[in-house]
Amino acid sequence: MKSLYKTAIVLTWVSTMLTVCGAAWAQDTSADEETDAARARRTAEQFQANARILTVFDGHGNIVTTIGEPGLFRYPALSPDGSRLAVVERNPESRISDLWVFEVATGTRTRITSNLSSTEERTALPVWSPDGTQLVYMSFRDSYEGVYRKSANGEGPEELLYRHPGSDVWVSDWSLDGRYLSFSTNDIFGGIFYVLPMKGNGERQPIKLLQAESRRGVDSPLSPSLSPDARFLTYVSDESGRPELYVRALDPMFNGQVPAATETRQVSLKSAKFALRQGWRRDAGEFYYVAANGGVMAVQVHDGSTLEFGEPRQLFRLSEAVDLDAGNISASRDGERFVIAVPARPTLQQITMLDRKGTVMTEVGEPGRYFTPALSPDGTKVAVRRNSPETGNEDIWTFEVASGVGTAVTNDVPFDRDPIWSPDSSSVAYHSRRGIYSSIYRKAWNGTGQVEQLFQYTPGAYLQPADWSADGRFLTFQDGCWGVLYVAPVGEGRDSAEAHVMEWLRDDYTVAQAKFSPDAHFIAYLSDEIEADVFEVYIAPFDPGQPDGGRAIAKPVKVSGKGALGMISWRRDGQELYYMTPDWEMMVVELITTPTVQVGEPRLLFRLPHPLLARDGNSPARWKNVSPDGERFVFLLDVLVTDITK
Amino acid sequence: MKQSIGAACVLVVIVIGSAWAHHSMSAIYDFNQRFTRTGTLKRLDWRNPHMYLFVEAGKDQEQLETWAFEGPSPVFFRKHKVGKADFERAVGRNITVEASRARDGSLSGLIRQVTLTDGTVVSLCPENC
Repeated sequence: MKSLYKTAIVLTWVSTMLTVCGAAWAQDTSADEETDAARARRTAEQFQANARILTVFDGHGNIVTTIGEPGLFRYPALSPDGSRLAVVERNPESRISDLWVFEVATGTRTRITSNLSSTEERTALPVWSPDGTQLVYMSFRDSYEGVYRKSANGEGPEELLYRHPGSDVWVSDWSLDGRYLSFSTNDIFGGIFYVLPMKGNGERQPIKLLQAESRRGVDSPLSPSLSPDARFLTYVSDESGRPELYVRALDPMFNGQVPAATETRQVSLKSAKFALRQGWRRDAGEFYYVAANGGVMAVQVHDGSTLEFGEPRQLFRLSEAVDLDAGNISASRDGERFVIAVPARPTLQQITMLDRKGTVMTEVGEPGRYFTPALSPDGTKVAVRRNSPETGNEDIWTFEVASGVGTAVTNDVPFDRDPIWSPDSSSVAYHSRRGIYSSIYRKAWNGTGQVEQLFQYTPGAYLQPADWSADGRFLTFQDGCWGVLYVAPVGEGRDSAEAHVMEWLRDDYTVAQAKFSPDAHFIAYLSDEIEADVFEVYIAPFDPGQPDGGRAIAKPVKVSGKGALGMISWRRDGQELYYMTPDWEMMVVELITTPTVQVGEPRLLFRLPHPLLARDGNSPARWKNVSPDGERFVFLLDVLVTDITK
Repeated sequence: MKQSIGAACVLVVIVIGSAWAHHSMSAIYDFNQRFTRTGTLKRLDWRNPHMYLFVEAGKDQEQLETWAFEGPSPVFFRKHKVGKADFERAVGRNITVEASRARDGSLSGLIRQVTLTDGTVVSLCPENC
């Protein structure tokens, strides 16, 4: 299908809405009712952000039909005859996920599993038996991931086939001769591919076929699949430094024994994202994968026992607003249909500058998949994480506000995230991963020169840079689960005794977003100290000369009024502080910090007409989006993509 | 400069230490190696990013070992019915911990499930699984 058209509607900014500021928000209701209402509203927002429509495409990328209503769907799998669809749906309130089967023609559905809402039980990754009468899936029960089998009409008992001692079981296929179920497990060091014999009854022992190391330290599935005739094994590995699709020949006499090492060949040409679950055609003449650029690819398999394949050819490629991953696409067994869980509201993001009243001042660059914007201290540039539609890489880009010209700061396979600016606006620091180590790196804003590693974290850990002090001496960051606020010296003298990373705040509640005051004598931060998951902004002293970082000098002062989401920023003179509330209100608070901290009443600057929805786990809370003079605010505004086909 | 960066990195790792940092758990623990220990809860460290239980256990009184079992963040328990007070009450008493073993072979593990003295079973999955 040729590229049709893509109509983008920039969501309009309605300034008249800005004065409402939620005054009608349950003034006469109790605190509990307010909390319940807020929770319900956020659940609805999350549903809106994550709901998907089960959509069937032909081999050219044309939409054939949609199935049922939007829902929190994942792991769609078409039955062998294409008449039914197995899919997992997550309950937006309980977070429990269950397996359902839809009739493709009518959209009627049958529940297959009934996990308990009082536990963390969940189901995932269904695959069909060759005759379409049974389903196998992974379910998490009683701290174990198990592989279960049940009738595809939902009747009869569930049978446990295998209970895995570890985690991250990825069920990928049921060989069309019925003999083997293929699945993999993975962790930060790589993955292991198994087959599970399907004949017989009761629990059975898996056969380990392949172990692949990960060079990137990313625990992504191998997405392995066994050919219908059990001659070939396809899988994705990053052993070359970037993810590619490989095919390994199995012994033609393979009979369930551990095979000897056999020939392996790389099939993908320009990086592969993943291989499709149930990704082999019924006649073993073709298999399917998704390239790094999001293209759905087909590879022809030549007759014979040797590893001979055609060149990968792109069947179709959807808009980058449809984020294909291994859990939201599968193929029919005849290779004629592809079912994709498409976002119900596919969007790209437009970098947009607002004034202090919330009015749009300018749009910067073209819409794209952007995350965590950071406005440079001189106000002339915006740094973002950008997901490249060409390579699939997560890189750091900077955009000049005046011209909209974008420049790649990084361009590499490892992910690069969470940019923050140096105080002189000359460079950008960001989080990246090499092997099992997360680090903070620095590079010039225009991508020139060498990358400099500022700081390496402990093995396996994730971190999120939050701020860089105006004097250039310190960075703040938080651990990946928002448990500790760290201060790291990065300026001159960091090789001296001062060069200790300081745990500035570590307690038993959640903390994040440590932002230095302009004189670096205070830090403002988010905390849910009073009530779990209800965040407020606090200010506490910072003194790198004190063992505790100065926090004991004075008690933290609460700044926010009725909750805070994040986006904390100080004005250059330290006399105003800004933050966003969970109701999407941009607030300002007047401050005096000498001789003691005194805060005024939070005042509304403007309210966003639409919620900013977290994507890929990137909450807007972490945006660093206010100019030092407090006059401009950078947002990533949704641009609705009305035609997802290209 | 490169050299000084390296020095700083080493220092950072020493200062923070793997025990105190939030991490992708599979870097430290092998999830395929499950084991169980029953013994006396000697103390707990209830701090972010991860809580710890220290359990003295062994096959007999001659071979007691102190195991350090790592759990999720305290925030996990703020949202569940079992919390810090329940673990504090269990100090000095027998508990059973099912865990994933540390890759370095040390006396430590990542908690999957804890059974307190009164029979209460606390699953720390999926955060720790």
